[in-house]
Amino acid sequence: MVLAGGTILMPELNYGRLRPERVLLLQEAGLTGIHRDGSSLTIAAMTTLADLEDAPEPLATTARSVADHEIRAQATLGGNLCAPPGGERPRGDLQAALIALGASVRSVGKDGERTEAVEDFLAGGTDDRLVLEVGLEEPRRAGHASLRRPHTHSYTILAVCAAETSGGVRVGVTGAGLTGIRARSVEQALAGGASPEDAAPKVLDDAKPQDDALASAWYRERMLPVLVRRALDDLEGGQ
Amino acid sequence: MKAVGARLPRYDGVAHVTGRTTYVDDVRVPGTLSVKALRSPHHHAGITRLDTQKAEAIPGVYAIVTHADVPKNVYGHLEALGIPADEPLLAEDDVRYKGQPIAAVAAVDDDTAREAVEAIEIEYEERPSFFDVRKALDDDWPTIHQWGAVYPHFGPYNHRRVRKGDVERAFDQADTIVEGVYRPQAIEHCPIEPQTALVVPEANGRLTIHSCTQAMYFSMGVVAAHLEWPLNKLKFVGGTVGGGFGGKVDTATETICALLAIKSKRPVKWRWTREEEFLASSTRAPWHIEIADAVTSDGWILGRRTLTLHDSGAYARFSPYGLTKHAFHHTGAYTIPNVHFDGFVIFTNRVPTTAMRGFGVTSVSFAVETHMNRIAEVLGIDPLQIRLKNANRIGDTTANRVVLKDPSTVPVVLAAADRVGYDLPPEYRSMTSERRTGDLLPEHLAGQLGSEDGGDG
Amino acid sequence: MRFTVNGMEHDVKSPPLASLLHELREELHVTSPKAGCEQGGCGACTVFVDGEPRRACLLPLAAVDGATITTVEGLGTPDELSPVQAAFEQHYAAQCGFCTAGFLIAATALVQRQPDASRDDVLEALSGHVCRCTGYVKIVSAVEAALRGDAQPEEVEPSFEPEEAEVLIPGSPA
Repeated sequence: MVLAGGTILMPELNYGRLRPERVLLLQEAGLTGIHRDGSSLTIAAMTTLADLEDAPEPLATTARSVADHEIRAQATLGGNLCAPPGGERPRGDLQAALIALGASVRSVGKDGERTEAVEDFLAGGTDDRLVLEVGLEEPRRAGHASLRRPHTHSYTILAVCAAETSGGVRVGVTGAGLTGIRARSVEQALAGGASPEDAAPKVLDDAKPQDDALASAWYRERMLPVLVRRALDDLEGGQ
Repeated sequence: MKAVGARLPRYDGVAHVTGRTTYVDDVRVPGTLSVKALRSPHHHAGITRLDTQKAEAIPGVYAIVTHADVPKNVYGHLEALGIPADEPLLAEDDVRYKGQPIAAVAAVDDDTAREAVEAIEIEYEERPSFFDVRKALDDDWPTIHQWGAVYPHFGPYNHRRVRKGDVERAFDQADTIVEGVYRPQAIEHCPIEPQTALVVPEANGRLTIHSCTQAMYFSMGVVAAHLEWPLNKLKFVGGTVGGGFGGKVDTATETICALLAIKSKRPVKWRWTREEEFLASSTRAPWHIEIADAVTSDGWILGRRTLTLHDSGAYARFSPYGLTKHAFHHTGAYTIPNVHFDGFVIFTNRVPTTAMRGFGVTSVSFAVETHMNRIAEVLGIDPLQIRLKNANRIGDTTANRVVLKDPSTVPVVLAAADRVGYDLPPEYRSMTSERRTGDLLPEHLAGQLGSEDGGDG
Repeated sequence: MRFTVNGMEHDVKSPPLASLLHELREELHVTSPKAGCEQGGCGACTVFVDGEPRRACLLPLAAVDGATITTVEGLGTPDELSPVQAAFEQHYAAQCGFCTAGFLIAATALVQRQPDASRDDVLEALSGHVCRCTGYVKIVSAVEAALRGDAQPEEVEPSFEPEEAEVLIPGSPA
């Protein structure tokens, strides 16, 4: 078991559901720091969510929206990227923001070291990978929209991140799949000249919202195109 | 009354802010064992096999208890109020809600206790489960409870009844019938302090029980009854309850800990996890309330029919009592001369429901007040005027045959209207609680006024 | 492993993956941080770790080796309450008191790091703490008072002196 911040794994240990024989603790592993080189950033895996509150958008807003002050001070970028799919509620909020930014992940595992796009990293399964750092480029513009209902406290039901980098416009979604997903259908529609209004509904081609403790699939299906539209409008109006 | 309106410090305020208030889990007794329970994973199932031998053999396990260890396993918490016993402390032949306790382990630490729970051999025969109270009176509602689909001990009836006047006639005479269905849902008490008990066997054979109960003497009686012990062998130590709200009356941990303390001859402590709290602790009940009012176009309520379905969960607990309180209040703060109320306590496969702030009354209050607004909307009459017109007044007789001497509906509504600057015409602004006369005494209310000297009407 | 709790050094007795909360409560008998959920969701276990508020139930002991821990017991005593403790006491910010320790740590941390915090900042800083008794209003008032450097509550309640109360119901005993 690999223990980064501990916010996801400690409850399992407290409840006796995980009894690992060996644990790799990353506190002293030197995976800290945010390194800037012009408009490129390299963010080490043990960077806390609190330290991401000044990162480029939409990463900053996403990080700031997770849980609360004490949790953000302990939870890490690496842990959030590798969060196991949440059955009761979505996890890994940062994934969608990083997907929108076209970020890459450098990780190590049995077959050595690799650097790949975040969505490919997630698709490959994160269980046997150790995240070292994430690389991204400052976007030209960014947009963000999320659904928060009072009863869900600090959890995100549904959120959409959008960003334009040198690679074009990308859109990431939290809460409509087991991990954050990339809304390629929306991106393709936009690249083909569609307006945000016409591109937004395409998100349902990529996203398969589920029922969970926070909201129903029915509700998510109806709200998701609305959030995509808002995130794209935010992108249009933004810097 | 010098204290009223004065700013007095809480007697426990300084202890709270310095972290010195002692809750059950803060009490330390050397050698205390940890407790974990085997709970039903099924909503409804028969138990065909239960064997704790392997679990008992695990090193560090001091005691395991099942129904066989309980001198009186089935004890009714409200037997003194005429509600017979129906619920086992530890399940015997079947389980009727997910999370129902079947066995409990006292071991040297949490991990060992959990391991022992997993080692208990148990076999279930799953049965269909039912949650929709609206179907309870259908022919194909299965038998969950030994008493049938509904609680049958309201005197000779299987429901709580209130009857007054002639509701049929009221409905014939009405200008409009206004109907509504109200379904307030279950609520978890969710106190920040989970259910916790610490039981210490004393050298003289008594038990000292540190309990988070809201009702010390009540819980003492429950434990004594299950153990078939005299009360003087139990010493209850209460103290600050870390939030109860009605959910810490059920005596959910004390008896099981007492049995483990007796069997292991060691102090035992059981602190529920937050997951156990959400899974197995009792909740406020969901209710299904149907109201139909016979009303005149100028806003008099001539009569009311009410049907209440109270979801008791798998066992009765306090539900018949809650439904009775609910029935008392089904006309709200208003005088309705013709009523027909039927309320059923229904057994389902959810966690048994229990008291929570305003037990039984918040549900009917919500329904009645919302219904008044609905009537106002249907008739196109101001919602406060509807209330003032039908408000309780001196001499009115309630559905329970109480002659009112000092009702406060009118002055309170007027005071509230005044505070928020709500506009009311002069004839409403000048209303009082005085005995009805003139326009406030239409024909349909004439026969229901009680005598002025306060005798029973 | 060793750490300092409220000024005193201790050898850590529990295994490295046991939580800080467990060690504090079970081994050191420091009981102000509470086990409300053991999942990090309620905030009742919050303590200072190297001057920052943290969930003790989510920290494995291995992560706090050598750290300086401060709990409510280290904030003040009944004879000498800290300003935040005094504000909570004066404002009736605790009813059952079970969540209070966690709120005190979060509030003290806020007052230290952001003395000019707005109400929104207060709400954000306390957002990880659940209280089932008070409805939060008096807790927020207490923290705002502490930010002003003032334990005494503003004159808000009661809004009238007892003698001035209108008798709403003629003839009734009140």
